[in-house]
Amino acid sequence: MKRMFKKVKVIVLSLALCSFSLLASAQQRTIKGVVSDASGFALPGANVYEKGSTNGTITDIDGNYLLNVSSVESTVVFSIIGMQQQEVVVGNQSTIDIVLQDEMLGLDEVVVVGYGSVKKSDLTGSVASVKMDNLPAKPANSIDGLLQGQSAGVQVNMSSDDPGAGASIRIRGGSSLNGGNDPLVVVDGFPIGYAGDIKQISPQDIESMEILKDASASAIYGSRGANGVIMITTKKGSKNTTEVSVSQQNTISDFTSELNLWRDPVLMAGLSNEARLNGGLVPFYIGANDANGIYYPSVKELSDGSWQYNTRWDDVVFRNPVSNNTNVAIRTQTDKTQFSFSTTYFTDEGVYVEDDYSKLNLNLNVVQKLYENITVGTNVIFSNGSRNNNGGLAYWRNPIFPVYNNDDPEQGYFMIGAQDFDHPVALTENRINTNDFLDLISSAFVDAQILPSLKFKSQINYKFGRSISDVYNPKIYTSDGTNNNGAAEIKNWENSEIVSETFLTYNKTFNEVHSLSAMGGFSYQYTETRFSNLYAKGFLNESLGTGNIGVGTPEQQRVENGISETVMHSWLGRLNYVYNNKYLATFTMRADGSSKFGANNRWAMFPSGALGWKMHNEDFIKNLGVFDELKLRGSYGISGNQGVDPYLINSRYGQDQYHVNGSWQSAIGPGYVVDWDDQTGKKTWGGIPNADLKWETTQQVNVGADLAFFNRRLRITADYYYKYTTDLLRERWLSPSSSYDKMWINDGEIKNQGVELTIDGDIMNRNDWRISGGLMLSHNKNEVMSLGNASTSGLSTDPNTGMEYEFYGNTIEAYRAIPSILGIGEAVGVFYGHKVDGIVQSEADGLAAGLDGKLAQAGEFKYVDINEDGVIDENDRTVIGDPNPDLIASLNLQVSYKNFDLSMFFNSSFGQDVLNTKAFSEPNNMPLRWTQDNQTNDYPSLREGRNIYMSDWYIQNANFLRLQNLSLGYNIKEFGVSWIKRGRVFMNATNLFTITNFEGYDPEVGSDGIYWGGYPRLRKWTMGVEFTF
Amino acid sequence: MKTINKIVLGFAVVLGLSSCEGLDVEPKSFYSADNFYKSIDDARSSLYYAYDALTLTSYAPLNYYFGELPTDNCNVKPDEGADAQALVNWEVTSQNTLLLEYYRSAYIGINRANAVIANVVDRGFEQSEVDDIVGQAYFLRAWNHFNIVRTFGLAPLQKNFINTLEQTTTGLPQDMQEVYTFLIDDLTKSIELLNVNRVVGLADKVAAQALLAKVYLYAASAKSSGVPKYDVLQASADELYAKAAEYSALVLTGQNVYGHDTVPRNIYSINSPDGPEHIFILSMDRTGTNEGDFSKISRYFIPSLGGAKFFVKHSDNTFEKTLDGWSVFQTTSNLLNSYGSDDRRRVDLMTTEAYDEKDTTLVGNVSDGTVAYEFTLKYLDADFEGEKTSVKPYLIRYSDVQLIYAEAVASGGEALKQYNQIRKRAGVDELDAMPSKEEFRKLVIEERRRELAFEGDRLWDLRRNNMVQEKVVEAAGLTPEALSFYPIPQREIDLNPNIN
Repeated sequence: MKRMFKKVKVIVLSLALCSFSLLASAQQRTIKGVVSDASGFALPGANVYEKGSTNGTITDIDGNYLLNVSSVESTVVFSIIGMQQQEVVVGNQSTIDIVLQDEMLGLDEVVVVGYGSVKKSDLTGSVASVKMDNLPAKPANSIDGLLQGQSAGVQVNMSSDDPGAGASIRIRGGSSLNGGNDPLVVVDGFPIGYAGDIKQISPQDIESMEILKDASASAIYGSRGANGVIMITTKKGSKNTTEVSVSQQNTISDFTSELNLWRDPVLMAGLSNEARLNGGLVPFYIGANDANGIYYPSVKELSDGSWQYNTRWDDVVFRNPVSNNTNVAIRTQTDKTQFSFSTTYFTDEGVYVEDDYSKLNLNLNVVQKLYENITVGTNVIFSNGSRNNNGGLAYWRNPIFPVYNNDDPEQGYFMIGAQDFDHPVALTENRINTNDFLDLISSAFVDAQILPSLKFKSQINYKFGRSISDVYNPKIYTSDGTNNNGAAEIKNWENSEIVSETFLTYNKTFNEVHSLSAMGGFSYQYTETRFSNLYAKGFLNESLGTGNIGVGTPEQQRVENGISETVMHSWLGRLNYVYNNKYLATFTMRADGSSKFGANNRWAMFPSGALGWKMHNEDFIKNLGVFDELKLRGSYGISGNQGVDPYLINSRYGQDQYHVNGSWQSAIGPGYVVDWDDQTGKKTWGGIPNADLKWETTQQVNVGADLAFFNRRLRITADYYYKYTTDLLRERWLSPSSSYDKMWINDGEIKNQGVELTIDGDIMNRNDWRISGGLMLSHNKNEVMSLGNASTSGLSTDPNTGMEYEFYGNTIEAYRAIPSILGIGEAVGVFYGHKVDGIVQSEADGLAAGLDGKLAQAGEFKYVDINEDGVIDENDRTVIGDPNPDLIASLNLQVSYKNFDLSMFFNSSFGQDVLNTKAFSEPNNMPLRWTQDNQTNDYPSLREGRNIYMSDWYIQNANFLRLQNLSLGYNIKEFGVSWIKRGRVFMNATNLFTITNFEGYDPEVGSDGIYWGGYPRLRKWTMGVEFTF
Repeated sequence: MKTINKIVLGFAVVLGLSSCEGLDVEPKSFYSADNFYKSIDDARSSLYYAYDALTLTSYAPLNYYFGELPTDNCNVKPDEGADAQALVNWEVTSQNTLLLEYYRSAYIGINRANAVIANVVDRGFEQSEVDDIVGQAYFLRAWNHFNIVRTFGLAPLQKNFINTLEQTTTGLPQDMQEVYTFLIDDLTKSIELLNVNRVVGLADKVAAQALLAKVYLYAASAKSSGVPKYDVLQASADELYAKAAEYSALVLTGQNVYGHDTVPRNIYSINSPDGPEHIFILSMDRTGTNEGDFSKISRYFIPSLGGAKFFVKHSDNTFEKTLDGWSVFQTTSNLLNSYGSDDRRRVDLMTTEAYDEKDTTLVGNVSDGTVAYEFTLKYLDADFEGEKTSVKPYLIRYSDVQLIYAEAVASGGEALKQYNQIRKRAGVDELDAMPSKEEFRKLVIEERRRELAFEGDRLWDLRRNNMVQEKVVEAAGLTPEALSFYPIPQREIDLNPNIN
């Protein structure tokens, strides 16, 4: 019966098609007209096409068009970006003049949410949607860069200018200490991983991004949703036309400020001598050989010009880097096929010479309608690139030494003793350090409309990543190479992931007022990571580099490898209900089971619920005539974080080798190295299993409102959230007599709460002018609520306040202390240390302040005796700063006039403290030291070997306002040839200026708030052109 | 519809295939309790892991930090870290990271030995092999516990293999009696299980006997000199001395593998770790990959001249290449003055000069300030590669046992003979007649200092004889408790509720 029905259907369909085409040829006709906007201005460049065909044209400079259509029944579509699309049935008209209305932004926009999409107006959760068409062209080379300033509550911190570097992205603060705080990234339904280094996708290929911020939106991703989710939709075939677009961008960068290096060797040498003499040590610059046999000129030699060298090492090490980004895309669509192919070639230079990055990216997307009700599609993103690592060169090298012996390249590099492994030119020319990587992201789906109201979708995703790095450290110039007579290593890494997801969606409206949508399905995920590292040492002939490391000394060859697998099973469901287009309700549920966790806690449930009220559809609001939109939203949900390594539930043995009777034997047993500091050789030991290990759980409440006024020209979104995270994944310390240092447990609680406000406005839209702007404000406050049982987790107690705390982060050598703590009742990572009240001016002054010995001498820091016991010791420490900002604000402004457009993006952050570790060790602050002749209260004296305590003297306010991006574009609409549809030329500058009181190069540091110095940030100047054919 | 079915089926197949992976994922790249101790080879490998703990960079060099720095033998270089300075200045607090590293490392050795003891017996392996492996594990457990006791006094005795969180908070032993009973018990078992079998890097029956003699001697002298906490030992000092004598005699006379090497320089030759003196030597080799596998021990003792290497001149006018050092442990004049002018141990085994590559040109010496101090030649490896050497810490030497015997017996001809054999090799006057016991023991302690200098022994001799304050000016004013034991590391106190 079914088969029969199908046959009948086919026959009817083909008959219909035949007659249609017959009619078409018979009734072809021509139409013409003018397209203009509401003010009567002609709209050049508007698309005019026959619906359901590729037949179309664009309007000329006066808004005129001429189009041959196939029949009187044809529908003609008029569209241009920024205006509402209009459709007109041709009928008997031969002239059709059209007035396009401004687009009511966001009204019927569809936004992508996990496992489906909803109308923006029906959202109950906190979701920000970014349509790439609405963005001014930014020379971003990664998704991370594009996200900056797009949504309140999304903090994008780009603290590195290295080529190919990622950014740190935080949605609503950090809710985890160790489980990771990066949001999940989902590309076309494929959860590919965590944000921060999503280098596989070219920004040009992105259609839109949705940021799921609250639990109602993100809980559908369950155990990976706690940090929010970024949904990325890539560009598909373009509507009803064939378009080829080409874009070319080139960027050149320079430092935002002068480098703070020693330019005056006399001053440098004088201060060095002063510091060493004050420290009771023999000064260097006395015109004698040091312990390494290197001659250091005296200050006199330097000042009277008899010493000839003053090398500007930064000129040797740095360059003005240039990057290139070329993109070519072909997109087409027919009735049944959507096709898109895009390729990007990107090269990026680091600021260090020969520190390079290049990447080729291919993106192929095909969607095919097999039948009226079945669609299949596939998407393949392939990228392949390489990196030559040459960063970290010694731009800070002593200027009194030349690059080459006697300044003559023929005479070889000038080395500072036998153990000099920092010569930048020697390293650049002799060392190999490269990395090649390859990434594949692919998916295939089938979408079947089983019943008019029931849809089936199944998608299989496969991701593969590979990286090979090659390092060769030559016999001279490198420490590793010198100690091993040449050292080579090849590191292979490979990761593959399969995600298979299948779900059913049911959509139906009952009695015209009850609109119901239900979704249910399951997901399976398998991840495998493998690595193998090959090491060889002792090379007689170094000319092969890493090409054949088997020629190294046979006994010195070593291999390491490993494999790690994780599996996750999930069940998920969502129910959306809308009553009378006024009342909205959403419920989601996800159950995740992960192999990372012990049998006791393997499965967890992540439910959420949200309610919304579209008040603007109520008569009493409508009658006010004020609101175009007034929607209240409220949600509650639970999401999780499973960002820890697998196998923590297993006991784990370590391995080494022991030399028995002249030969090496494998040594295996309990306890393995979980952490190994390469510099100090210090190891941290683990290996105790935790069968009870489980997810971090974050509960989140969100209350928000969406408002629109003045014909939607003013739009406001406001949200308040409260996030409470429990069962923090934490590495607790163990008593050393157990022989283990650490193990993973669930312990501790963190609270985050904040408000977000977004105001968007179309300020002016008249004649040729369009001005719009957006302001985003977000405030987040976090607080450590608990770190588990004080006696079992080894918390310390502040003797003055009773605050329980533990140190958080790494030791800073200069202070011989970890500067940050997790303190109960404090924000995450606040600074902990002494307070300084100026500088000791005399020994009596110092003794009176409770200092003794060397610390009481004139010119020392005057530490404050906080507990007033007459002694300065570790009991005088307190919380001295908070690296978390109080307010993050950004402002977007867009102005266009005729074919010109200008956009500006300001970014600012207020209320964060930064630990400036370079506050008294740089050429611009050391000369300000205390001396007998300069009895300042701002800087201590120079004294080598001073024991410096971590103190608030090093903490500085790092408020800043930055013009992050300025872009000027010109849209070319008149080419005189029909085959060029659109063109655009633009210029862009990032990081143009920064207003701040912070003393270092740049106030934007990592989330730990520690400034390490280095070199200034880059300002990037980009020129770009784009053409669409 | 057929096509749809096919597609759906296709997906189902793919899903089905991929979904057969359950949530129990077995680790594939490391061993654990589930897949190890399956054969005698596994057992032996885990024994080697226990030995390997002794090579940890947080352990092997620290034996010298503790054995030499707080004594009259060595000072530390001025710019060494504050924790090392604190050792020299006797200002050690529970926060001292060297203490923590040493403490934790000893317990790593103990837990690895306990893993062997817990997992190798009753697996049906060849009994003689099991005895050999477990016997060595008992030796290592005692070795590490003995280090703990000498350094910290009463600290947890780990009698069981720790592999769960619940087991990580062992309390303190009741008193020294419990500690010594446990040590003696382990070593007695070790002696029973092991045979005399020299393997470089491993311990055998003789090593266990020697260590037991050392343990008895420590207890005997500590009790007799009034070291705190040792008063509770049930046995009298004399009984303990007698036991020390009994076990050291077994080493001296009960075997013919180890013996007295008559040439001082031979003992310290890099090429003869299997020389007669070496009852237990830590095996490190320059072919290793990481520090600990290879050795950097020499660098602590050899002064820094700033280059990669220099040459030293031996008393026979031959030259030997050495890796440059770090000048960490700097010989005191007090130690130098303790040697007579023709003592071979200073003439042959110490130098003040450095020579350049061509063997003949003097680079500098102590008097012109180029060489920071007169330094030991006990740790030389002319065949070093880069910074990798095969220098091996001498853990138990035959001479040490000879002096243990002499000190324990302290009367009669045999004790005098052992003592004089050491003196004779050094080329110094032998003792004609046995003085009083007390006097002789004092002489032996001073002989031990000269013989075992730079071998990480001095602090223990001073402590067990309650002589720290007498010999080390920096230790003035400290309590007997503080002289005899370092504080238990703060992290242990913070994290172990069973230690207040």
